[in-house]
Amino acid sequence: MLERDEWLGLARKLDWDFSYVSESEAFPEQTSGKPWLPGEAWRNWEEPFKTTYHDYVTCQAEKDAAVYSIKETFARPRNLERLPKTWVNGLKLHAATLPLAEFAAVVGNLRAARFGRAAAWRTAAAFAALDEFRHTEIPLQIFSGLVPWDQQFDWTHKFYHTKDWVAVAARHMVDELLLLADPIELAIATNFVFETGFTNLQFIGLSALANETGDHMFEAMIKSIQTDEARHAQIGPAVLAEVVKHDKAYAQYLLDKWFWRSWLLFAVVTGFSMDYLTPVEHRTQSFKEFMNEWVVEQYLESLARYGLKRPWYWESFLEALDYYHHMIYASAYTYRATVWFDLAMPGPEEHAWLAAKYPRSWPEIAPIWRRIEERWTECDPGLDFGVHGTAIVGFCDLCQLVLCNGTPNRNAATTLTRDGQKLIFCSEPCRWLFESEPERYGGHKDIVKRVLAGEAPGNVLELITKYFGLDYATWGRDVNRGDYPWLVRKSPGQRRGDDAISRET
Amino acid sequence: MLVPVYGFLEGDVIGLLLLVKDQDRVATLVTKLQESASVRVAPRPGMSVVHRGKHLDPALRIAEAGIEALDRIDVRGPDGF
Repeated sequence: MLERDEWLGLARKLDWDFSYVSESEAFPEQTSGKPWLPGEAWRNWEEPFKTTYHDYVTCQAEKDAAVYSIKETFARPRNLERLPKTWVNGLKLHAATLPLAEFAAVVGNLRAARFGRAAAWRTAAAFAALDEFRHTEIPLQIFSGLVPWDQQFDWTHKFYHTKDWVAVAARHMVDELLLLADPIELAIATNFVFETGFTNLQFIGLSALANETGDHMFEAMIKSIQTDEARHAQIGPAVLAEVVKHDKAYAQYLLDKWFWRSWLLFAVVTGFSMDYLTPVEHRTQSFKEFMNEWVVEQYLESLARYGLKRPWYWESFLEALDYYHHMIYASAYTYRATVWFDLAMPGPEEHAWLAAKYPRSWPEIAPIWRRIEERWTECDPGLDFGVHGTAIVGFCDLCQLVLCNGTPNRNAATTLTRDGQKLIFCSEPCRWLFESEPERYGGHKDIVKRVLAGEAPGNVLELITKYFGLDYATWGRDVNRGDYPWLVRKSPGQRRGDDAISRET
Repeated sequence: MLVPVYGFLEGDVIGLLLLVKDQDRVATLVTKLQESASVRVAPRPGMSVVHRGKHLDPALRIAEAGIEALDRIDVRGPDGF
């Protein structure tokens, strides 16, 4: 019997020369990616962490047993009821956006397991696909069990099957990143940018906050997932190194593209959780501080290692670190019935914390909250539609998210006319991405274009119920129903009448 | 004819879709956008419309002002750009 190390090299790199088809037929550029290089160029491709199928399943079985035992102990309503309400709503945001995106990652990795150009890469991608199955099943198992306790958790599975605006945006990115991308783009976008950089926010930052908050279930789940990600993320640097050698400009383009797209997604998912939905007494660092420590510094070091430049939009990105997630959170709060989780207003302690963490932007964001508070003083608790937007909002024709980039005094939205079609983008980088690959993005209709084409209702309440798939039981509200101890309500005679509110809705 | 435009109110955090008629006055945009954003920004007097870098006469009709469907307009205070 051969020892592990005697056969692993052959098993990982099992490969052969083709005789019935050419190499370019077996690995067409369209599905294998560019730059298309002869197989010889990939022959020495190595993943740093090498495993066997036996080692893999043994290790994964142990990890699964650990996670499911934590689930049995903690994923129960009585434990969740002990958690802060805001944190639980952050869980709903993650519960919806995570599992089926991971399922799409199964597909992307299976494509790489067939069309990746090196045998060892294909082997590593096959393990990555198995990882992503696990990352689909674990959160689905955990969060779906909570539906009887709170119907909003039903969006764990439902989210990606709806036409809710967040789902449209998430699907636009996930489809491209995981279902459309060829193995080279997948490796650079997912394994290098997304998993080596941004997921640190989740696995290090958010798991630390979960621990602080006492959410041992989420902490265990996310840490277990992280151990897989740390392994299969190593595909990324190995592929990037080869692409840089042969087509540095393309490598730079893919990095710049996916850094921006990843940033927008994480600003919403992690930015909301860290700076608004984690109780202020449990916050250890701001979202911006986490970003700087775990993403920005490491990413810039990685770029330098490959002789690559920082993205051309770097100054806009640094400005967005101060503004973007605050602008989109305040917008989402005033359109909370369009999402499947509840949102909270920052109170005096949160204002002080945010002002200290964001001295540049908070003076411009705070007045928005003062106005929202003022509106709540005129409404009874629970009357969410008295403090809710009534106009249709604008969406970016690239990222499909709302037009919340720039600053409150200078929104960064920018327009473009192409083939007689008028488009709008939340930012210059989104416009640049569209113009770089118009054939890829041009056919997609944002929600405003669907409304104008008569495909979606133009009334916000109808849009919520008939198009986004939300109803009275599931649409988002203020997490405290607008009832905050620090909010002084006006006397009944000074409040907004029900007729005024119903007129607006 | 209805003209949908993207409106950005100074001090607000999001761009909104506004529907106006081509024979409405430019001032209508100011009123409509301030109403639509009022949950986040209190309406203020003295606001005007900026379109393609120019402050527009509020008495002009939308069509006369050259505002077309899906254009961006900004509603800004006297000190706005």
